[in-house]
Amino acid sequence: MRKALVIPVVGVMAVVAGCGSSTPSGNAIKPGPINIGVVAPFSGPAAEFGTLISAPCYAATDLINQAGGILGHKIQCTPVDDTGDPADAVPNVTRAIATISNFDLAVGLETNTAATTVPLVNKAQINMVTTNGLTNYDTTTYKYFWRLTPADDANGAAMVQFAYNKGYKKIAVVFENNSTDTGNTPGIEKAAAKLGVKLLTNTTIPADASSYSSVASTVVSEHPQAIIFDADPQSTATFLSNYSQLTNGKLPPMITATDSLTPDWYQAVSKAVGTNFIFNQVDLVGSYFSTTTPAFYTYRSALLANPKTHALADTLASVGPPASIYDGINVMALAMLMAKSADPTVYNSYVNQVVTPKSGAVVVDSYAAGKKALAAGKKIQYVGVLGAVTFNKYHNFAGAFAAARFTGSTTSRNAAIMPGSEISKLLG
Amino acid sequence: MHLLVQSIGFGVAAGAVLSLGAVGFTLQFGISNVLNIAYGALMSIGAFLGLFMLGLGLNIWVAMVLGGLAVGACSVLLNRGLITPLVRKGMQPFGLVIVSVSAGIVLEYVIVAVAGPATQSYGNLSGATLNFLGWTLTTAQVVIFGIAVLLMVGLHLLLTRTQLGRAMRATSSNRTLARSCGIATSRISDIAWFMSGTFCGMAGIALAITIESFDFTLGSIFLIPMIAAAVLGGVGQPYGAMIGGLVVGVVSSVSSAYWDPAYQSVVAFGIIIVMLLVRPRGLFGSSSATRKLLA
Repeated sequence: MRKALVIPVVGVMAVVAGCGSSTPSGNAIKPGPINIGVVAPFSGPAAEFGTLISAPCYAATDLINQAGGILGHKIQCTPVDDTGDPADAVPNVTRAIATISNFDLAVGLETNTAATTVPLVNKAQINMVTTNGLTNYDTTTYKYFWRLTPADDANGAAMVQFAYNKGYKKIAVVFENNSTDTGNTPGIEKAAAKLGVKLLTNTTIPADASSYSSVASTVVSEHPQAIIFDADPQSTATFLSNYSQLTNGKLPPMITATDSLTPDWYQAVSKAVGTNFIFNQVDLVGSYFSTTTPAFYTYRSALLANPKTHALADTLASVGPPASIYDGINVMALAMLMAKSADPTVYNSYVNQVVTPKSGAVVVDSYAAGKKALAAGKKIQYVGVLGAVTFNKYHNFAGAFAAARFTGSTTSRNAAIMPGSEISKLLG
Repeated sequence: MHLLVQSIGFGVAAGAVLSLGAVGFTLQFGISNVLNIAYGALMSIGAFLGLFMLGLGLNIWVAMVLGGLAVGACSVLLNRGLITPLVRKGMQPFGLVIVSVSAGIVLEYVIVAVAGPATQSYGNLSGATLNFLGWTLTTAQVVIFGIAVLLMVGLHLLLTRTQLGRAMRATSSNRTLARSCGIATSRISDIAWFMSGTFCGMAGIALAITIESFDFTLGSIFLIPMIAAAVLGGVGQPYGAMIGGLVVGVVSSVSSAYWDPAYQSVVAFGIIIVMLLVRPRGLFGSSSATRKLLA
């Protein structure tokens, strides 16, 4: 008699619980693969970025699928073309959210379009691992937002710290007039004030002008010891050529961001001012990660193994944002295993548990190792390519910074490392 | 003062390239009354043809002439294959603008299909730096300025001293009347499209030399300043376009020397708006040309 009563009660409770866990966006897992939407430009002038940002996704998904997938599902990368333009990004991302089955994770959402794409993805209750550097996401309350790359102001502060460490006390600052590059400026100004570095010209230039000679002339007249500069390849080449024209070929040391480590940038600048300048006077500042860890080896091997990413392996292995996507996908995949659900509304609350150090936890450096440990009933801490990750309450993580030098058209080696704590102090 | 003089020099160098493109644009508009937005894509084609010819070992200035002529031929094909048939079918000017925008996009992606989306460069062809009158210019800039001046003078002589020039001006002024006077207006139109395309192709190559690197969007980026230069000078007025290009170049350069360079285009276009408010026909424009644009 009691048994007969219990069964319907349990049934009702299960239905109620089921209703509670369902989501307005219908994120409950359906048959077929789990899709990672790679939100990036795949067409237009910035299409190269889509290719670069997809590669770590392919590396991560290849390894996850080799390890048996997630909860019986394969996982795959699905391009979502934001064209690099917010006007196109909104309809394209909206369409992707509405039409892609098992769209349980988004990666990319780069700076140019992040102001529109991040809210859309968050509203759809889809977890995201973003590479955007917008400082207004430093203290975001978006629940599904996760970022493993530093905001642009931190990168700006790291640029000044590097200049200071090199002994440059008078520097000029020239950025292209866009949100990605000018996002560095607040950090540069704060760090310069704290370190006693004098900022000479501190200006922005429009992209793709036919001449930057007037700006170059102003910079030249102030005799900077170094120049902090970031712009698209074409504008960089034109500016440096104009500068060189005024100084009989002499160029100051240039500190720029690691986003300049692209074939396009190298091609444009080397043709304009020569490879000697690139190899000996350009320092690329960005997030640091060790290239000697097992996690890095696994990551690089996966890049090399896939024909789609093979040619990009060395470039990607030098740059932080792609590594953050690779690590981010592993963290999210392990969170799905922990939660026993690929539904972002469920697994989102497990993300921190994947990376947080805890007593008795097994440190894992890959999805496969994490899956094995979880299957054995153990606690885990994922320490990937970026090293140990600690998200703050705003789901942001910024590790150490490095300055690197070009070693080839798309490769670099670290020349100096700056602890994240040092950079945080400059911004405090 | 030194900075001002230098900025004017930089502006003249940049403006010479704009003038070259603007003259071609306005010449074709003046004759055919079609606002050809595909002009930007044709300019990109010119830049890529220059790259191709450099690869064959040709001298850059020879490549500039040959590239210009090749783009001239493309321009005629565009007119004969697309624009003229649509005009015959009675398409209105606004429709033709949309068609030319579409053609421009298609042409840009033809470039991508053939040459790829990556940034390209001719390499550093600037040559030695020359200092005179307080200006600092490269040899390439001086040569491009010289070519621009030569072409302008040549165009002036063609328009004012030859039978062909008179026929072109007559066609521009009143196509129907010109035809009734025995002028082969469709042939004149072809010649105008060819000359316009040649200027366009040469401007594309000159631009690629000046800015050192470029991709398939080169022409689209510089199309608006060129149209602005043409409008400033007076629609359909080659001399006006030449002066308009120099004004846009110099104002942009001087403003970026004394104000936030990010706003150099804002200053240039702001001044254009003010000048057009004062003189709606542009510096050298006639009322009929303005009416054409607005028709």
